[in-house]
Amino acid sequence: MSIPGPALSRNSKSRAEAVTAVAQRTSGRISAREVAVWDPLVRLIHWTLALTILLNATVIEDESTAHEWIGYVALGLVGLRVIWALVGPTHARFSSFPPSPARAARHLRAIFAKEHSVFLSHNPLGALMVYNIWLSVIALGVTGYMMTTLAFFGVEWVEEAHEVIFGWLVLSVALHVAGVALETRRSGVKLVRAMITGRKNIPEGSCMK
Amino acid sequence: MKLGLWPAKTKERRATILAGLILVQALCALFFIADVIEDLRLDGRIDGPHMVLEFVAAVALVGGVIFLMIELRGLLARMSDMQTGLDIAHGHLADIIEGFFDEWGLTDAERDVAIMILKGLDNDAIARVRNTAAGTVRAQATRIYAKSRTDGRAQFISLFVEELLAGNTQLGDI
Repeated sequence: MSIPGPALSRNSKSRAEAVTAVAQRTSGRISAREVAVWDPLVRLIHWTLALTILLNATVIEDESTAHEWIGYVALGLVGLRVIWALVGPTHARFSSFPPSPARAARHLRAIFAKEHSVFLSHNPLGALMVYNIWLSVIALGVTGYMMTTLAFFGVEWVEEAHEVIFGWLVLSVALHVAGVALETRRSGVKLVRAMITGRKNIPEGSCMK
Repeated sequence: MKLGLWPAKTKERRATILAGLILVQALCALFFIADVIEDLRLDGRIDGPHMVLEFVAAVALVGGVIFLMIELRGLLARMSDMQTGLDIAHGHLADIIEGFFDEWGLTDAERDVAIMILKGLDNDAIARVRNTAAGTVRAQATRIYAKSRTDGRAQFISLFVEELLAGNTQLGDI
């Protein structure tokens, strides 16, 4: 049994798509296709970092040893994520989400123009937020460490810097969460779920970037 | 929709465990490196079994993290290759099925029914999906079997499996 040559030639493409469409309609996985984007290391680092920030900002006593240790863990997490962004898989790499205000501005325009674009890695605005949060955590870790050293113990500007950066981080996290909520509504990609399962659902009719 | 927190597939489980190990081991490495630096700052000496052991532990942990990262990247690449292969196979299977349907001259309605037969739906289920009477589906199925010169559901399905198993050279140049 072999496949007839000419039959495959002309509109076989659309025919094949019809096969796929019927096959999907009856399989329960109706909605859209899913793409694996976040590897387990990215997800683990993300949620652990969120946990350390939450812990140090809320329940942990400010000048306790636990606060210091959790701070160092957060610093280590960012360090590990940066290494992974250099050597890791495609979507986790710096090259997938370059810090580019120009791209972010273009993305903003696309949002207002109601384009249905979907980014597999971070979207350009989200990418800026990623770098902002990482830098804030690093700055918090460094000023926090300085407070424990003899040279900077009790120095006022260090403590003030730590406080100011903390305020900035809280604001950033709030913006991050709001951004995720808005982008989820706009693009139809369930972003929180993607950061848990690692898979982004790509709604039909949206163009992938 | 179910949130698969613990992945069902072996490879994904392996990747998750690897990632967890990398995370914990990296933090341990950080601790030992910081400890070595701190000891050096206070002490200024690198001798003594304690220091040597700590230094070795730090180096081993860093090496372990790097090795695990390479392992994880390799595993993720293999998983993504497999997905690509599945996508290609999926597209080609659709082409093969379409080729058969064209050869037999199935009508559009018959194509729909034939695909659902291949997917393992019974006549009642097909009738529900297509909003037709079960009798209509039965008649369409009979015509499909007649056109494909098969004597029923099982033989009809085996046509396609046979095509996949036979390793047809025409399909070799994917």
